[in-house]
Amino acid sequence: MKKLLFRLLLLGIFGSMLAGLALLYILPLDTLDPSPEQPLPFSHKLHAGDYQIDCRFCHRHVEAGPVAGIPDLALCRACHQHIATDRPAIKQLAEYWERGEPIPWVRIHQLPDHVYFPHMMHIRAEVACSYCHGKVRKMERLTRVSSLKMGWCLNCHRDHQASIDCWTCHI
Amino acid sequence: MKRRSFLQLSGMSLALSMLAGCRKGNEKLIPYLVPPEDGATPGIATYYASACRQCPAGCGILVRVHEGRAKKVEGNPRHPVNQGKLCARGQAMLQELYHPDRIRQPLKRTGPRGSGQFEPISWDEGLKQLAEALAPFQQADRDGLALVSAPLRGSLATLTGEFLQHFPKARHLAWEPLYPEWLHQGMFGKLGTPDYDFENTQYLLSFGADFLESHLSPVRYGHGFGHMRQARPTVRGRYTYIGPRLSLTAASADRWLPARPGTEWALALGIARRLLKDQRVDAAAVQAAGLSLSAIGELVAGFDEQRVAEITDVSPADIQAAIDEAVSISPALALVGEMTAWQSNGPAAVAAIELLNLLFGNLNRPGGLYFIPETGNQLASGYAEVTGLIERMHRDQLQLMLVYGSNPVYSLPPGSGFTPALAKVPQVISFSSFLDDTSRQADLILPDHSNLESWGDLIPPAGTRSEVIGLMQPVVKPLYDTRAFPDVLLALAKALGGELARQFPEKSYLQWLEQDLSKRIPALATGDRRQKMDRLLQEGGWFGPEVEPVLPKSLVLPQLPPAAEFSGAPQQYPLQLQVYPAINYYDGRSSHLPWLQQLPDSMTTAVWGSWLEINPQTARELGINQGDLIEVTSPVGNIRLPAVHYPGLRPEVVACPIGQGHQGLGRYADGRGANPLQLIATAENPGQQLPAWGGTRVQIRRLADNGGLVMAGHPEGSYHRDLLGI
Repeated sequence: MKKLLFRLLLLGIFGSMLAGLALLYILPLDTLDPSPEQPLPFSHKLHAGDYQIDCRFCHRHVEAGPVAGIPDLALCRACHQHIATDRPAIKQLAEYWERGEPIPWVRIHQLPDHVYFPHMMHIRAEVACSYCHGKVRKMERLTRVSSLKMGWCLNCHRDHQASIDCWTCHI
Repeated sequence: MKRRSFLQLSGMSLALSMLAGCRKGNEKLIPYLVPPEDGATPGIATYYASACRQCPAGCGILVRVHEGRAKKVEGNPRHPVNQGKLCARGQAMLQELYHPDRIRQPLKRTGPRGSGQFEPISWDEGLKQLAEALAPFQQADRDGLALVSAPLRGSLATLTGEFLQHFPKARHLAWEPLYPEWLHQGMFGKLGTPDYDFENTQYLLSFGADFLESHLSPVRYGHGFGHMRQARPTVRGRYTYIGPRLSLTAASADRWLPARPGTEWALALGIARRLLKDQRVDAAAVQAAGLSLSAIGELVAGFDEQRVAEITDVSPADIQAAIDEAVSISPALALVGEMTAWQSNGPAAVAAIELLNLLFGNLNRPGGLYFIPETGNQLASGYAEVTGLIERMHRDQLQLMLVYGSNPVYSLPPGSGFTPALAKVPQVISFSSFLDDTSRQADLILPDHSNLESWGDLIPPAGTRSEVIGLMQPVVKPLYDTRAFPDVLLALAKALGGELARQFPEKSYLQWLEQDLSKRIPALATGDRRQKMDRLLQEGGWFGPEVEPVLPKSLVLPQLPPAAEFSGAPQQYPLQLQVYPAINYYDGRSSHLPWLQQLPDSMTTAVWGSWLEINPQTARELGINQGDLIEVTSPVGNIRLPAVHYPGLRPEVVACPIGQGHQGLGRYADGRGANPLQLIATAENPGQQLPAWGGTRVQIRRLADNGGLVMAGHPEGSYHRDLLGI
């Protein structure tokens, strides 16, 4: 009798742990804001859409490195020393430069630490930026459109016949 | 606790630990203000070759740099000294770069000397003050200027030497505690530091040389030792260590002979006697060296196994076995090191042991010693010059002292009288990167770059048979408003004007370095120097052809070493203190790095502090338990530190590592542990050319239970060995 109770108890513990893990997977625990307010109201619509600036003009490392890279303040300033200097946001930009302080942009696209996502390989495979990042050219404030969950990655990898081996991303 | 509540609590803690894994809000993305010039790609590392100056060995390094930040240091596989290996001290140089207590701009003293009160000033003001202080010494008759540094190397030595020539009476004291001055005063004299061919030797004899820890070039020797033991298919070289303490190097030996301190030489003479008796001496080599076999025979007469055993107090059977091996196995190599040389009879003992190599016939032969002349490095000043300078300081004959890359307040024993003498020098200017024991006493500090921010060339003083010039290059932009010492000299030359400015037209030290290197490296002299220099920097230096070794000629026969003397009356001070350079801290210069502080000592596993090693038998007699706080008193001072029971030590000897007990040197070293050099009574051994670091007697007294000893392991056995019954 006692033995049975003990077994039931063990089963209960493991069962609840499993259920907890399942809940973690199902519940909408994504606490990240997909469209946070940025320290400066930078408009991708204006830059990439209206003025047709290539993504790679600012995100310079996308073809060579694992991350696309956020443009340094010197690059922003290179243009905005002369362009639209009277706008409040540009004045704010100049103030950051004067203080010698980088702009603390809020991160929108973030993968867990145990995932290795190299931008350059996806660019080499000719995956368009908008495939994952959405129609950035129409976004006034940048918004995440993809879930960035593993299933979402796998779907695309399957569609493009890319490797779905665990070690492809979890290295 | 009830089972129910236990389960509830564990369930709750499980849930909490899972919750903690959830992220809180979005991260920030901080871009560069201005990107690095070489266009670093985020996420892709760049590797730079440079060189390590954490000790004089001069190993080559490769540094991984991510987005302009140095992340990891490893050995350079192409460098002949370390061949891709690197010791812990080299790896920890990253923490020197990022140390929170680095001096970030020039400082000027505001409070009284030694108070540590400084105010930041600009480089312009600092250089102006330095130039004003130096200007009067350009006159031909003006005395009273001294530069105190470690022995300088390569182009830094030439630059400093030429600079100081414009100050006619200036003295340059180049001294560091672990410099092998005793080797240069030994039998082979000024032939320089020999290269030991560990790789090909069959029998290795170490007379107190801790060559795997701190002796001359430990990484190079460790590599050679591994080769000697394991890399040859048919032979495993045999190895005997003789010395009072079981160091890590001694623990790697086949046989450890725990000789009395200062008696190791007797074994050498015993072996020499048997070599002569069995006619196994290389008579041709002895003759070529200008010595006669009969004179050597007289020197070693009477040193039979019994007498050697009596002098060293080691069992006759062990002595017999060691002598038998040394006589029958060839090639054999005898190494002499600090633990022997630091006794009061050091010079004579070193010469007597070196004689053995001549008798083995292994000079400039495989498995022996190669004498490669050392060029380009400054020769160190002798200890006699140190005491001479201190005397001048006492007599108020020194007006200005410049201190670069040296910490004499820490490393000179109190018997030398350096610290009170320093107080008499009107102006002290330091180039230190940290507020260490000496720079705390300075009036002006003009901080140098760290290792990873500097240009330079390092010529290894020991350990290669070919010509090697290791190159240092900055792998990151200087983090703070610091300047390289040679650049300060060039700026000074400009500020002082006149002849000095004409002789040093170079805009930067890099320019000087390139010019100086093109004089020493034939390939650089012609063609596109810039391009060739880049190539050398990529490789990590210039690794030239093998050099023809020099054969020692007209040697002087060593004298019979006298008995080692110890300061202090044996009745009052019953124990002999042996200090040794800690593997983590070298001469104390690395104790500000927390990685090294928390690296367990290889023999005792002690971390973050200093300790006194006592033989358990002696400790029991004195009633001292493991970890007790004890007071160690010598004729000149006393320190307090915890006790460690250490069986690998003679009962009448206590041992203490050098490296801790700084006053200053940043938050991790300041006031931590005790400095055993404070106990060394060199002044009481008159007429000595070398400091007898190992020639002091002490007494110890138990003060309290808890001495604050922290051990990473339990060398006396596991924690609950009483429960396990082992």
